[in-house]
Amino acid sequence: MSKQFQFKLVLLGESAVGKSSLVLRFVKDQFDDYRESTIGAAFLTQTITLEDQTTVKFEIWDTAGQERYKSLAPMYYRNANCAVVVYDITQAASLEKAKTWIRELQRQADPSIVIALCGNKLDLSARRQVTEEEASKYADEEGLLWSETSAKTGEGVNAIFNAIAKKLPLTAPPSARGARVAASGAPRQSVDLNRQSTAHGSEACNC
Amino acid sequence: MGIVQALLSVFLDDGDKLRCINAGRLRITFLLRSPLYYVCASSWGEPESVTRSHLEYLHLQILSIVTASQLRRIFERRTNFDLRRLLDGSEPFLFSLLGRMELDLAMATSSLNCLQLDQSLRARVAEALVPTSKMKDTLYIILVARGQVITLVRPKKHSIHPADIHILVNTVYSPSIVNSPASASWIPVCLPKFNPAGFVNAYITFLHRPDTDYKSYQRTTLENNESADITGASHVAENSHGATSRHTTRPIEDSGIGLVCISGGSEFETVRAWCDIVTQKLNDDGSLDALARAVDSGKTCYFASQLGIPGLRHFVYKSRPHVQITLPAFEEPYDTLDAKRRIVTLYQIVHDAIHAKSGQTGNLKLQYIRTEKEIVMGWITQPFELYVVLSPRLPKAAVINAANAVTRWVKKEEGQLFLRDAPVF
Repeated sequence: MSKQFQFKLVLLGESAVGKSSLVLRFVKDQFDDYRESTIGAAFLTQTITLEDQTTVKFEIWDTAGQERYKSLAPMYYRNANCAVVVYDITQAASLEKAKTWIRELQRQADPSIVIALCGNKLDLSARRQVTEEEASKYADEEGLLWSETSAKTGEGVNAIFNAIAKKLPLTAPPSARGARVAASGAPRQSVDLNRQSTAHGSEACNC
Repeated sequence: MGIVQALLSVFLDDGDKLRCINAGRLRITFLLRSPLYYVCASSWGEPESVTRSHLEYLHLQILSIVTASQLRRIFERRTNFDLRRLLDGSEPFLFSLLGRMELDLAMATSSLNCLQLDQSLRARVAEALVPTSKMKDTLYIILVARGQVITLVRPKKHSIHPADIHILVNTVYSPSIVNSPASASWIPVCLPKFNPAGFVNAYITFLHRPDTDYKSYQRTTLENNESADITGASHVAENSHGATSRHTTRPIEDSGIGLVCISGGSEFETVRAWCDIVTQKLNDDGSLDALARAVDSGKTCYFASQLGIPGLRHFVYKSRPHVQITLPAFEEPYDTLDAKRRIVTLYQIVHDAIHAKSGQTGNLKLQYIRTEKEIVMGWITQPFELYVVLSPRLPKAAVINAANAVTRWVKKEEGQLFLRDAPVF
């Protein structure tokens, strides 16, 4: 009987670098030229089988890249066993943003988190602004997995998730590894449910 | 933009009294919801109150994305802040709202239009949605299909404002969510009538998705829909009509049954686990299947012709105690988009007149309009408001008879037309 593992994975990175496209390629082997921006976070799962017949199920939180969702990210990475931080090889600024995410993960996330840095849009390499050397050197220094992918052609997509699976501790079930840190969430405006709602009165729906 | 700026300064000088400018067929309507100004130029002929309510909904949708307090803080710090930066990526919510408002009579009458459904099935489903004690911080649990509410479970102490439901349903059915290949979304949302200052979280998952391939879906909807905007490539460009820009997202009929769980907390794993259990339960007891069959077979809507009332073409019945409306699906001669727009505008005119919403001297009990093509009558009583559309050749006495017949029919069918006695926790 082969072993089965389950891990939580979070995708982070600037908006429009292709996080959702990367997941869509990985999970459904599809690509859309036009995608709506992700709002909040989207949940997907995918199971892969490694060479030794070990199966790894990824529970993926694909987060929105927009600035206004930034404060929500800890909610997702605090529970995560692994993170894919995505940048766009045609946008130098997106690598800087990725580095910011990586620093935040190194500071705030579970110390054993496996981080992969992923340069997407390899199909647009003619417009490349980030060299392979630059990114791979940074990844080496920080001890990250690194590769380039194209969600559009599919190149490198499965490989990076496979690489993550292999780097995860496939010995103990992940639940034993403190993956269930209480997700108290980032400090943000919260709502007191005991407060009387303003919806009372004749306007309110009587259902 | 320059002209709008100039108009706004006039607006300010006037002590914010400027509400609208009429210039021939064109009317420019202003709404100030500090720190934002909303302006709409429309040549559609709808009452001023309608345009203003559209702008009001637009404001609520924007609040749902950024909250009122965040908005205020930002503009206190920087008066020239470009709001588009904060709304980046959420434009689809605004476009789908504009498309929805155009024909949505529940929004126009500030009420809820729930899905027509067998009473016992609705009750059974609702029971399954009552959260366990582990689900603390749960605010509302809503089941939707075809863009309509199936049922809604809420805490005893919090009712829900119809406007919040509309904003929420619009959010759930905006392309970013409903077209998402993900199995679930978890989004921060502000329900402005509940609490404009803070976010709650919404867990959204669609339970019964048809097997239709996503791509072929986009193709067929593009062919079928007059102004389908699935690709979203040119959102503002194709705005040919004078009023608010019109955008329809892909038809929502086939997106399945949506389970929405609103939570004040951030324990998404708890919510996800619970929603999985609920889904399993609905699956096991067959109610999900029954729901899906009802939705697919078209039993969740009806036609005016089914009532067998001579001359009756369409109606809107609002139950005032329930704050809910029921209306038949549009059929011939109101089955084209232009005809629907025309009839909805007529409804809006009558509604506006009855409620004296645009500065008329007093409320009316009854309003009767006769165009070349039809008779439209609005009638308000203590328990209900009724708007009927009838053949133009009908004598007045027959119009009254038809209106009475509609109310009798609604009374008889009330159990499946309205959402009543949904459980609270």
